[in-house]
Amino acid sequence: MNEPALIREAQRGDLEAFNCLVLAYQNTVYNTALRILTDEDLAADAAQEAFLSAFRALNSYRGGSFRAWLLRTVTNACYDELRRKQRRPTTPLEPETEDGDEVETPRWLADPTASPEEQLDQAELEHAIQHCLGNLPTEFRAVVVLADIQGLDYKEVAIAVKKPLGTIKSRLARARLRLRECLQGFRELLPAAFRLEEESSI
Amino acid sequence: MTTPSFRDVERLSAYLDGQLSQAEKTRLKMLIQSDPALVPVLNELRQVRTLLRRTPQRRIPRNFTLTPKMAGIRPPVPRAVPALSWASAVATLLFIFTLGTNLVGQLSFGAAAPMMAAAPAGMGGGQADNTQPEYGVGGGPAATQPPVNMTVLVTPTGETYTLMVPEATPSGVTRLIETPSAQKAQHEPVNVWPFAWLGLAVLLIGAAFLVRGLNKRAFLRKNSSNRSR
Repeated sequence: MNEPALIREAQRGDLEAFNCLVLAYQNTVYNTALRILTDEDLAADAAQEAFLSAFRALNSYRGGSFRAWLLRTVTNACYDELRRKQRRPTTPLEPETEDGDEVETPRWLADPTASPEEQLDQAELEHAIQHCLGNLPTEFRAVVVLADIQGLDYKEVAIAVKKPLGTIKSRLARARLRLRECLQGFRELLPAAFRLEEESSI
Repeated sequence: MTTPSFRDVERLSAYLDGQLSQAEKTRLKMLIQSDPALVPVLNELRQVRTLLRRTPQRRIPRNFTLTPKMAGIRPPVPRAVPALSWASAVATLLFIFTLGTNLVGQLSFGAAAPMMAAAPAGMGGGQADNTQPEYGVGGGPAATQPPVNMTVLVTPTGETYTLMVPEATPSGVTRLIETPSAQKAQHEPVNVWPFAWLGLAVLLIGAAFLVRGLNKRAFLRKNSSNRSR
């Protein structure tokens, strides 16, 4: 995929070229939205909205990391969605356990490459991470999702959330500290494969 | 052993991401060696980071490609559109003109009919001298028509003729006038132009719709093939 050429074509209004970019990035965009919003349907809506906004605002892209620029649109879409959610809180339709935790549908676990045990392990891990991410303030959550889950470097995260590098560094450290505390509560519940051995310090 | 400050934690976090300069990295290593309390913090931050990077990616529920409708893109205007727009205007004018012509034609024939109908009553009733009807072309009263004397002749075959003898004609020329039914059959004009114009208008409008439809269909087909790719 020749990304710069596709971007140029898309900037001229070529929807086919833009859709090639959508196919390349839709997984990243959707998963980013999902980790920030912690809701599948809202994440799908935010991803679609992000791509639509990106197509309309494509002429404002002036080079650099296209992934970071695209993730900025989805981050903004997620912020909008969260603000809307705060104004109109909703009750989830999923059934709840006796502890009040939502019983998530196993639909998303369908992965033909993973064995049932692996799927279960991954589900435990994902549940723990999603729970802890959900407890973070939105601005910390966006930074940690972009840096640690999507693997963006600090500069790309700074572009995506429109904040200086120092802020990114600080938010990421705070987010990791909070996640550390939260995940410690799940330490025993996490599968052995995810209980990391003590590593050498440096 | 002291509790690490947030500044130290921030440095440790940046160190894990390789965001420290060489000088900062060297300074941090020296700090860690002098303060063992930083080691477990570094390890826990590393664990958190590793766990987050192992977060499974969920499958997308659907494709997020945009359709022309979503993107607000309309099908491109075909090259023939300027000509077709003029053709539509001409077709509309022709259509209105045709309607108007037909209407005027119907009105004129409609006015003539009573006069024609009145003729046999006046002529056949033997009142030719006093109640003689006036004839004119186009339905109007024939004010300048000279008075005539008429005689009704019936042929053995049943055809009726009226013998007209104009009083003001010194030469005494007589002419035969057929009955209204026969006259109508022979002299009513058949105006074909309205039908021709109407047909032309329908053809032009049909062509405009056809070109527009074909263009839209080709555009949608192109985009649907792109989406399925």
